[in-house]
Amino acid sequence: MNIQLQVVGHALRAVAEEIGAALIRSAFSANIKERRDCSTALFDERGRMVAQAEHIPVHLGAMPDAVAAVMKHRPARDDVFVLNDPFAGGTHLPDITLVSRTELGFAVTRAHHADVGGIEPGSMPAGSRTLEEEGVVIPPTRLDERTLEALVGRMRNPDERLGDFRAQLAAHRLADERVSELAARHGSSRVRAAMDELIAYSERVVRAGIARLPDGRYEASDVLEAPDGELELRVAVTVEGSRLEVDFGGTAPQHDGNLNCPLAVTRSATFFVVRCLTDPDMPASAGAFAPVAVSAPQGSLINAKPGAAVAGGNVETSCRIVDVLFRAFGQAVDVPAQGQGTMNNLTLGNDRFTYYETLGGGQGACPDADGPSGVHVTMSNTLTTPVEALELAYPLRVRRHDLRLGSGGAGRHRGGDGVVREIEALEPCRASILSDRRDHAPAGSRGGEPGRAGRNFLNGNALPSKTTVDLESGDVLRLETPGGGGWGRR
Amino acid sequence: MDVGGTFTDAVLVADGEVRTAKVRTGARQEESVLAAAQAVGGSAVDRFTHGTTVATNALLERKGARTAFVTTAGFEHMLHLRRQNRAHLYRLCEDHPAPLVPLERCTGVRERLGPDGVIEPLDLESLPELDAEAIAVCLLFAFRDPSHERAVADELRRRHPGAHVVASHEVAPEFREYERASTTAADAYLGPTLGGYLGRLGESARAVGLPEPLVMRSSGGVATLEEAAAHASWALLSGPAGGVVGAARMAALAGFEDAIAFDMGGTSTDVCLIAGGAAERSFERSIAGLPIRLPSVDVHTVGAGGGSVAWVDSGGALRVGPESAGADPGPACYGAGGTRPTVTDANLLLGRLPARLPDGLELDRVAAERALGPIDPQDVVDIVNAEMLRALRVVSVERGRDPRAFALVAFGGAGPLHACALAEELGSTTVLVPEAAGVLSALGLAVGDERRDQVRSVVRPLAELDDLPEEGEADLRYRGQSFELTVPLGPDLAGRFHRLHEERYGYADLDRELELVAIRTAEVRPGPELQLPDVAAAAATGPALIELEGATCWLPPGWVGARDGSGWRLTKA
Repeated sequence: MNIQLQVVGHALRAVAEEIGAALIRSAFSANIKERRDCSTALFDERGRMVAQAEHIPVHLGAMPDAVAAVMKHRPARDDVFVLNDPFAGGTHLPDITLVSRTELGFAVTRAHHADVGGIEPGSMPAGSRTLEEEGVVIPPTRLDERTLEALVGRMRNPDERLGDFRAQLAAHRLADERVSELAARHGSSRVRAAMDELIAYSERVVRAGIARLPDGRYEASDVLEAPDGELELRVAVTVEGSRLEVDFGGTAPQHDGNLNCPLAVTRSATFFVVRCLTDPDMPASAGAFAPVAVSAPQGSLINAKPGAAVAGGNVETSCRIVDVLFRAFGQAVDVPAQGQGTMNNLTLGNDRFTYYETLGGGQGACPDADGPSGVHVTMSNTLTTPVEALELAYPLRVRRHDLRLGSGGAGRHRGGDGVVREIEALEPCRASILSDRRDHAPAGSRGGEPGRAGRNFLNGNALPSKTTVDLESGDVLRLETPGGGGWGRR
Repeated sequence: MDVGGTFTDAVLVADGEVRTAKVRTGARQEESVLAAAQAVGGSAVDRFTHGTTVATNALLERKGARTAFVTTAGFEHMLHLRRQNRAHLYRLCEDHPAPLVPLERCTGVRERLGPDGVIEPLDLESLPELDAEAIAVCLLFAFRDPSHERAVADELRRRHPGAHVVASHEVAPEFREYERASTTAADAYLGPTLGGYLGRLGESARAVGLPEPLVMRSSGGVATLEEAAAHASWALLSGPAGGVVGAARMAALAGFEDAIAFDMGGTSTDVCLIAGGAAERSFERSIAGLPIRLPSVDVHTVGAGGGSVAWVDSGGALRVGPESAGADPGPACYGAGGTRPTVTDANLLLGRLPARLPDGLELDRVAAERALGPIDPQDVVDIVNAEMLRALRVVSVERGRDPRAFALVAFGGAGPLHACALAEELGSTTVLVPEAAGVLSALGLAVGDERRDQVRSVVRPLAELDDLPEEGEADLRYRGQSFELTVPLGPDLAGRFHRLHEERYGYADLDRELELVAIRTAEVRPGPELQLPDVAAAAATGPALIELEGATCWLPPGWVGARDGSGWRLTKA
């Protein structure tokens, strides 16, 4: 492989990382700055992803749709487009994506804003039934000062929103500057060739990894806990040489709640599993996705039709897609036992404040190691907000935050433990909980025991996995997150 | 005296003369130090400064004290919960390094402070019995009100007179409990080991008539033996700090206030920006996988050096590192049994190393050729340079600094081999290679300032605060952000912050409220002036090899070199 192209490719990846770091450090939403719920990427002129700095996996394969949606509008050199419509390049509404031109393609930033309007503060309602209820829906739109003011005016805390938009826009200026510097230094044609090579390289690595999996067709199913009953996910994975076909036929139709997701999220979850099973260190690019075909029935839970509510799809359904895929691949190769399989989303707020957090739990044990405890598994990897930072900024008090000892499943290797977290409201507010694996515990693998299912409480009384409740001052919410499954018989 | 993993370096500065010596580092560092002192002929000296890796090694090898942790009840597992992110996104069972205190010694005491004061009074009766050699105490909101923490620490010292007790407000009184707890735990864990070592060193020094040693700390300043022993975690970057201080001093002697220190060794490379004659500093870093929230020279480390192994991955790309041939077996050309191709082997095949190293080792060209096989040695150098370039850009371009105006100060065994190519990539035209490139860290110790840092946590709107100190630095942010920028105190503090924010992140928001998170002050006593001996002037024109003590310098075509008292100045023609 040509070394000069490899060196330029290295520089392109560095640009994606640099703009990601700048975005995190200058943003205002806790989701971006503390929890790093954001990603940045460079695309080539044909709209193929060249390099991505992804801080959480759920953004892994969901950005190409955003660029494709914007390219339809023929963006000019100085245009910046904004979008969050899950059915036109987005994922769920709080993820706001900006797409701009660079000298040699496109730059993309995607960040989870603290609020984008809708029926509940934080825009992650547990009980939404339509997309409109979840917040402002932004189709691909040219962003200028006037549009920006109008957009943030429809969201809560417009001043903070504006701060996050400024941070994202600055990241785009930086990307533009850096790509032009590379073009000036190495010549446009060499940088273009390096982009092609990055894409071809990822494809070779992923194909080599897929080729190591035994050929065959592997099927599996798993369920999500919806308020209106269980929803089944089904998958059939076909490995044929260095190609992979993933068919979600038989999965439940889209439902009346918000666990639906667009196909972009389904693709992200699939690429996550492929990456874990092939080369965890491979740089992400369009080439990595090429050998993998993903299909799901139109109008199903995981390929929902425009207008469906999706707040929980990105965070909860994506976890279950990973679980069902690992379960299918587990028939061909050794895979980790199931982890907590939920992000335990908790949103608290009223007219004065909005606070959103997700909680770690147990990772399922691996064939060669115990599962880590108290971490985000699969599609998230966001940080906790420090207790001291939380209490300085919000009318909330953390009463307890500890490991949920003994919640990991036993086995030759133990599943990781979940966590216990208690939060007290210091003034009246609303709480939305979007969680899962409260009825169905994470399964063990190869004879390992399951982990313990999660539990939610308000002042000691059990709450369902998905709920919205009004809190009085002094009320205490307690979340116990699931433990991971064990691996192998003890 | 700079104690490294393999060698202990000594530099003696006396009467316009600089003498150096190298001895092998033994199992007991204090003996190596004295042996090196003897080798360099140092006895009647005014000042004896020391860089040590005792704390760092104890952390890496997990050979610190049996430590217990005490925090607010309900948060006992703080050190194990970390910030809940996993170690690797796609290797699901990869775990972070284990916390320094196992779960069974993580305990709680009933009490609670909040942002506005006491929520639950301290109940000392609830303090459990502990069995430990060291105890770390970190209570919630102790950065704002240390009274509970102080009472707990006093009680523990009374109950356990033999244990080393550290409270978080004594070592890192800053907000964000996990990072503060992690720093406190490391300080307690390392205290007995470093304290014991420094005690023995002090006695040995006295026995041979040397003054009491001053110890280099991560901040780039030296402190007394007693101060250093009290807080071991401040010494974690003792070694790299010496190198950066030395590089800053050499740059200043050559007339450069702005420079980048580039220290490329066998397994890793340290780079650090020097601006206005002083090393840039940071206030939190990860050491051995643990967050340490303390002032330190802002060294950025990459895991690649002369011993890094080159390999071809499944996609056909040439990669260098992170695996290293280390000191044993070392690069293939060292003839000690190494068979895998390293950066050093590539440099040899490119004619950038002499057939025989200054210490007498004959380099085996055939072994290097065999190890590289079909791999082009220039490709290996290009790839490793791309890694280095990334590190150099992180400390300069990505922090809003234009590296074209900076000189590159190259040292470490491999630094002078790669520096000119990297300077060209950065657009810089000057490389400085100190005559003492092999012992620059020790030279930095010899001239280091005495320094005591203090931090006061504030976390309040800037507009509400008056009577700020005149000197020192302030950690500021736009209210609502969670990362701070450190700005020198003085007139127009807000304006300085806006400008720095614009420089770093591409925008400023003049209407937004500013929050002052912490105030940092330092008491500094300047170290001695450095007078370098006159040396014979010399010149070289690239391509050329310049042999230095402990290092070789590669001068590529298009570069010229001139030697004066401080070393070689290489310039792009």
